[in-house]
Amino acid sequence: MSERGRNTITLATMTILAVLIVFLVATNPSEDDRVARLGSAIMCPVCQGESIAQSPAPMARDMMDLIEERVAAGASDAEIVDEILSSFSGAVLLDPPVSGPTIVLWAAPVAALLLGLMVIWWWRRAPVTSGEETPTRPVRTRTAVTALATIAVLIVIVVIAGFFLRERTDGLSGVAGLEVESLDEVSNATMEAVIVANQDDPAIDGMRLALAERYFTSGDYQAAFPHFLAVAESEAASASQVVTALIGLGWMAWDGNGEAETALGLLDQALSIDVDSITARYLKGRVLWCGLGDASAAEDLFTALLSSPGLDAESRVLIEEDLTALSESEPCR
Amino acid sequence: MLALLGTLGVAGAALGAGLLVVRGARAARPGGGTVDLGAPTRLLLSGAVVAMAAMQLALATDDLTIAYLANHHATTTPFPFDVATAWAALEGSILLWGLVLAGFTWMVHKTYRRSPDELGAAALAVMGLVALFFFGLMLTVANPFEVCVEAVERGCVASTAWPLALAEAPLEGPGPNPLLQNHILMAFHPPMLYLGFVGLTVPYAYAMAALALTRPGAEWLRRSHRSTLVAWSFLTMGIVLGGWWAYEVLSWGGYWAWDPVENASFMPWLVATAFIHSGLVQQRRGMLQAWNLVLVIGAFALTILGTFLTRSGTINSVHSFTQSAIGPVLLVFLVAILTGSFLLFSQRSHMLVGSPRVGDLVSREGAFLANNMILTVFAFVVLIGTTYPLVLEAFTGTRVGVGGPFFNRLAVPLSFLLLLVMGFGPITPWTATPPGLIWRRTRAPGLIALGAGLLTALTVTRIGWVVLAVVLGVFVVAIIVGLLLEQAARRPEPSLLDSLRSVVGGDPGFWSGQLSHVGVVLVALGIAFAANLGDHLEVDMAPGETVAFAGYTVAYTSPFQETEPGRTTRGARLQVGDDAGRSWVMEPAANYFGADTTGVSTPAVRSRPSGDLYVTLLALSSESATITFDTSPMIWLLWVGGLITAGGGVLSIRARGGERRAAALRQTADV
Repeated sequence: MSERGRNTITLATMTILAVLIVFLVATNPSEDDRVARLGSAIMCPVCQGESIAQSPAPMARDMMDLIEERVAAGASDAEIVDEILSSFSGAVLLDPPVSGPTIVLWAAPVAALLLGLMVIWWWRRAPVTSGEETPTRPVRTRTAVTALATIAVLIVIVVIAGFFLRERTDGLSGVAGLEVESLDEVSNATMEAVIVANQDDPAIDGMRLALAERYFTSGDYQAAFPHFLAVAESEAASASQVVTALIGLGWMAWDGNGEAETALGLLDQALSIDVDSITARYLKGRVLWCGLGDASAAEDLFTALLSSPGLDAESRVLIEEDLTALSESEPCR
Repeated sequence: MLALLGTLGVAGAALGAGLLVVRGARAARPGGGTVDLGAPTRLLLSGAVVAMAAMQLALATDDLTIAYLANHHATTTPFPFDVATAWAALEGSILLWGLVLAGFTWMVHKTYRRSPDELGAAALAVMGLVALFFFGLMLTVANPFEVCVEAVERGCVASTAWPLALAEAPLEGPGPNPLLQNHILMAFHPPMLYLGFVGLTVPYAYAMAALALTRPGAEWLRRSHRSTLVAWSFLTMGIVLGGWWAYEVLSWGGYWAWDPVENASFMPWLVATAFIHSGLVQQRRGMLQAWNLVLVIGAFALTILGTFLTRSGTINSVHSFTQSAIGPVLLVFLVAILTGSFLLFSQRSHMLVGSPRVGDLVSREGAFLANNMILTVFAFVVLIGTTYPLVLEAFTGTRVGVGGPFFNRLAVPLSFLLLLVMGFGPITPWTATPPGLIWRRTRAPGLIALGAGLLTALTVTRIGWVVLAVVLGVFVVAIIVGLLLEQAARRPEPSLLDSLRSVVGGDPGFWSGQLSHVGVVLVALGIAFAANLGDHLEVDMAPGETVAFAGYTVAYTSPFQETEPGRTTRGARLQVGDDAGRSWVMEPAANYFGADTTGVSTPAVRSRPSGDLYVTLLALSSESATITFDTSPMIWLLWVGGLITAGGGVLSIRARGGERRAAALRQTADV
């Protein structure tokens, strides 16, 4: 067979193969896993740069449960995303929309590609001077390089400016004896030391509370106790700080020591300062139900909570679960 | 005592670096004559070695009077994690950086020829300048040998740079970040990356030297080629090991999250890869001189930007350390590098005008041009996706997240384009392509690739990305094999094996490059399979319960708890069986280090040639365990491919050495 004939056959075979592949791929009965897709497009608010689909953090799991529930209920993608973003503070999309400020993200790579193609085109067209220096060529090259350098430096300066601006916005001031931008960066040990050194400084309550909450979240009630107590008794502390401390003390009394009555007293004290505190009301309901077996009082409290403004979706899920358990007279979990 | 030794080491190294700058600059002047740069180089290297030795000795003897140890080491930290603690936090990681930089400086000095070698001298002076900056950091804002003067229960709250100060040590330190003592790979991943990052200083130093001395041509490229390849190979290895570590430790079944710090290592890799290719064009045809300088400056600046992102606390990530004054200092350094380099560049732009243009775009240099275009745009996408959210939030307060979905949407098509160019590149000749050559060399590989694609679509999956990855991957490999066979057929050797050997031996640099390409293909296939073909299941199990998943039967036996010094492990013991009747135990768990009450989840992974079974414990109580099961089909292709890619780089280092020896031999023969 001639070379030409062979080529024709090869080309025809290639085309048939390609068409077959495209057909098979295009008719693939794909099942869109909406839960996974939505989950991987939302950043987990409490972890480090992971999506909620990846993170084992409890909050991320709750958010995934919510997505699953809404997908099952037939909500649209946009509805689900809006609901998540509005009800979990700090949740952000990992998939920036092609509109608003994030359009830059999509436009810039395209612009870079076009610019690159233009530069190559310009460069190939420009005559080669092969070593002989004409007066215009070096000037032009120098201008190009200088422009490039200026752009690079400007970008870096913008990034730097951003870096410092950002620090200022979430800066934290007023804690004696420690100059830091944010308490997140300070170790427990350092905080303890600073607190001991500034015991009489009224401004220390904020740090005490932050430290106590850290211990509290990690389950170290013993270490959290003195700090919560100090804030609850502090005269300089703000009302909301005292409420937080009382709630902490109340929950530890019940969860740590099983003292339901004491817990109830402390939570009531917190509610006497801030009658709307959702956490205090929720915990009071839990103590009533789980500690004192007063299911009906708990049910009333939870039902009232559901209609209170400012309740976030995560807590709503928790409360709804509790109410279901209560209505079926299940024991407290 | 060790603090004193370490401080002396750092100070000695800084002195050596300073001397290197001064004497190197003197030697680089025209008619500078013979200047010995050996003494300052040796002082720099030995100072750095002494400092690292002091750090290791301190770690081995649990010397908690040094603030760095008081805050990052625990007497219970087991081997080899106590060794790795030396670079597990900010100051120590700068120390490792300095040591590696001193090593590369020494490597550069080995090729310094003393009698008028202005280029080598100037390059050494630039290396000295960079080393001076890093050892300067260690004497000021990131001192690894500060002495603790006020200890608390676990840690140190006040320290001083004066090594002879009256020291106070805590009884115990908190130990390194729990994530870092979870897996052996963590001891290797950072040093590999540092060898990569720091190695890129060498081509930068030579480039600056060539500009400063107004030396056009490819000499600076030839002389830095070896270091560039060393750096690139280690960077590749470091990134792969990082992904592997994330997969084995971080419990989300992935290896790459487009985390800002991962991106920070990936950007210099992309630019360095572009540079390796475009450097060949300049060496071969004298083209792209200005472009190579841009790439070298870019790659070096990106390593500094990467260090800044990792070490300044600007971003939240598994990699970030606590904040310190080092952030602004690194930024100032970055600006100085960019302005300085580009200023010098623009002053010397006249020396670059003579470089020839690419004629025919269908040629090897045309393929390299396309490759550079894609790699640079890729790097730009990563750069803008990483920094834009920071900038936007700073100026407008708007929080946007840029993550996996954004990067994948752009990275996937760019990667496929890259694979396509990688297929055509090796078969296009330099300068111009005779008609019909491309078709002759691609028709068989094209048929094989499309056949493989059809086979995949019929038997494995009809997911488009996977089929496309198979088609392009097989195409690249088939082209390489075809080229190998085509050249072997022209050899006089009687046996195929001998002629293959002589083909590869004839151009070892090219063929090691092709080996790297095969590695990249394996990586692409590994990613495509694992990302698209896995199964996933999340279940609550009570002890005694059994579930079936993807051909495995899993029975939850019981919870367990193990206590070792410094570490408590709580987990679920599972009895797993497969279709072939094999059975084994898997123990997904959470590790609790020291007094830390937040557990580090550790997955259990069972690897098989068909893929991994990946089991993670989400929650555990006495009644039940919440467990996720995932399969990662063929994920080993990713690790093996990554190592082959890096291996190709290592082989080409040796290949270049061989060529140099051959050239030297030819020279002696001429004489």
